[in-house]
Amino acid sequence: MGADGFIETRDLTKAYATGAVEVVALRGVTLSIARGQLVGITGASGSGKSTLMNLLGGLDTPSSGSIRVAGSLISEMSKKELALYRRNTVGMIFQSFNLVNAYTAIENVALPLLFAGVVKKERLHRAAELLHTVGLEARRNHRPTELSGGEQQRVAIARALVNRPQILLADEPTGNLDSKTARQIVETLADLNRNRGLTVVMISHERDLLREFAHEMIRLQDGAVIDREVLRPNP
Amino acid sequence: MRIADYIKQACGNLWKKKLRTFLTTSGVVIGIGTLVSMFAFGQGVQRNVTEQFSKLDLFNYINVYARGGQRRPGHSHDPDEEGWRGAEDAASDANSPRLDSRFMEEVKKIEGVEVAFPELRFPAQIRLGAKEQFTLVQVLSASICRSGPMPLRAGRCYDANEPNELIISDSLLRRLGVNEPSEAIGQQIEIATLTLDFGLTTLLRMVFSQGDQALPIARESHNFTVAGVAERMPFGGMGDVYVQPEAAAGMRKLSLTSIWDFFQPAGDAANYSMITVKVKSPKDVALVKKELESRGFRTFALMDQLDQMRIGFLIMDMFLIAVGMIGVTVASLGIVNTMVMSILERYREIGIMKAVGATDGDVQRIFLFESGTIGLLGGLFGLILGWIVSMVIDTIVNAIMSAQGAPHMDYFSFPWWLCLGAIAFAILISLAAGILPTRRAARVDPVIALRHD
Repeated sequence: MGADGFIETRDLTKAYATGAVEVVALRGVTLSIARGQLVGITGASGSGKSTLMNLLGGLDTPSSGSIRVAGSLISEMSKKELALYRRNTVGMIFQSFNLVNAYTAIENVALPLLFAGVVKKERLHRAAELLHTVGLEARRNHRPTELSGGEQQRVAIARALVNRPQILLADEPTGNLDSKTARQIVETLADLNRNRGLTVVMISHERDLLREFAHEMIRLQDGAVIDREVLRPNP
Repeated sequence: MRIADYIKQACGNLWKKKLRTFLTTSGVVIGIGTLVSMFAFGQGVQRNVTEQFSKLDLFNYINVYARGGQRRPGHSHDPDEEGWRGAEDAASDANSPRLDSRFMEEVKKIEGVEVAFPELRFPAQIRLGAKEQFTLVQVLSASICRSGPMPLRAGRCYDANEPNELIISDSLLRRLGVNEPSEAIGQQIEIATLTLDFGLTTLLRMVFSQGDQALPIARESHNFTVAGVAERMPFGGMGDVYVQPEAAAGMRKLSLTSIWDFFQPAGDAANYSMITVKVKSPKDVALVKKELESRGFRTFALMDQLDQMRIGFLIMDMFLIAVGMIGVTVASLGIVNTMVMSILERYREIGIMKAVGATDGDVQRIFLFESGTIGLLGGLFGLILGWIVSMVIDTIVNAIMSAQGAPHMDYFSFPWWLCLGAIAFAILISLAAGILPTRRAARVDPVIALRHD
């Protein structure tokens, strides 16, 4: 368990009803992640990694159990409170990038600021800064379809950072990338963890790559935590 | 999100789907255009009727009829009424008040009454040069003419010393081939009356001939000089030709209302079927009516019918709106379809928006602004379309009516509240059409939407 429990789950269970059959995706997951940690989560397909990530990101609600993030009990939040939590506290990165194809790179990065009510000039300024940070300033007016997979993922990272979140949740961010690009993305996220003090929770099949950077590794199987391995001391 | 951002988002998203936006908006344009035209027509009719009535002072007139011998309970012992009837004890109906010249003189003394005159008309053939028209001739004294019940476009009211002068309406004048009223002043017009002729010659002709030649009708012609040209008002104008009682008395004719009554000496048992009383102001109508009715007469005033007219106009407006609403309903279904399509296409985008912090309300408002923008554009261009269509119809109808001698008239009316109301209504309908689809969009589960291709 982490030291200060910045992210804490207790007996977290998530079950889906598919027709008459109930599928249990998570079974009583209890874990704690400290502020500033980079935690890697691994497991086979269907082990409940993405379900856990959706619950931590406030995209989904648990069937039972609790989730506490930065002192707030998000498992008890209303839909609107969850939206504000997603807007202000977490940034999410997905395997399939999830960029809006109709928007340019800079518009995609600025999208969360739109919902935060930030004026256009400020939105574009902050988005441009982050595109510069991820090395895509020159591609700011390109649409996602005109960018490579790695570039799209870097746009997604910039978008996840634009609201200055405390937590970065990355759901298999390297899944659609070649190994070289995958390493670059993981290195970028590790840099953000180190240099900005962001708490990063990253799912990946590439266990070895994750082990190079993570403070702690968690392994899921059939919706339960079967292994926890502390690799480095907490920051 | 800020309002300006919702508007920019809506415009941007609609612009990306230009053809679909154009087609959906066209539906609204046609629907609103139809509705606006219909409603403007209703308003035009209402405005024209009330304006013409006001212009003709028709709200200032009371028609007075005898009760036909029927007395209202309690009136037979009214001392004022007894005094009113005075010595006129007609042998035929001792209890009925009379509509006669003496009554007219008494009416003029009632507070608020400006003038009173009998309603006397007869059919006649009017000829100017080679052209002839059949119409009703109104008998009206020179003094009443000068009191101003009819507006003159040219010339003057006839002179009481010139019984062979007449006044003709501008519409009849056009039908007789004279378009400029001032050109008619001083021209000779022939009035031909029809009479029943039971002379021997006619009877013999009836026996030995066939068809229309068999009718016992004779024609008698009289020449008049045009003194003035009156503006013929639609919806209740007084007549097309006006002559003085002295001239009418010398003409044999088929009278609708007997002119003989008018010329019988005062004191004779002469009754008119109707007398028209003009009051000084519409405010006087109620009091004068009450006074006349208390004296045992029946009355009719358009003023009384105003509320009924308003209900009638309301029903007409409702009917026209109902017809116009068909187009709007079809257009709103188009908006529903467009919004459903748009939401399905952007299902994943909705998931992304929610993942980065959009609330359900943000998502709903983004789509509502889109449907509202369609409504705004549809309302604006619909109003323009409705106006253009109305102007075209107005021009065509006026061209046709003008050829038949009718004065120019605006058949459509576009008051400011109709213009603003049409745009507001278009937006409202579009928002209403967008509510269900946008609520669906707001309820999209982001987890499912992010997995959606």
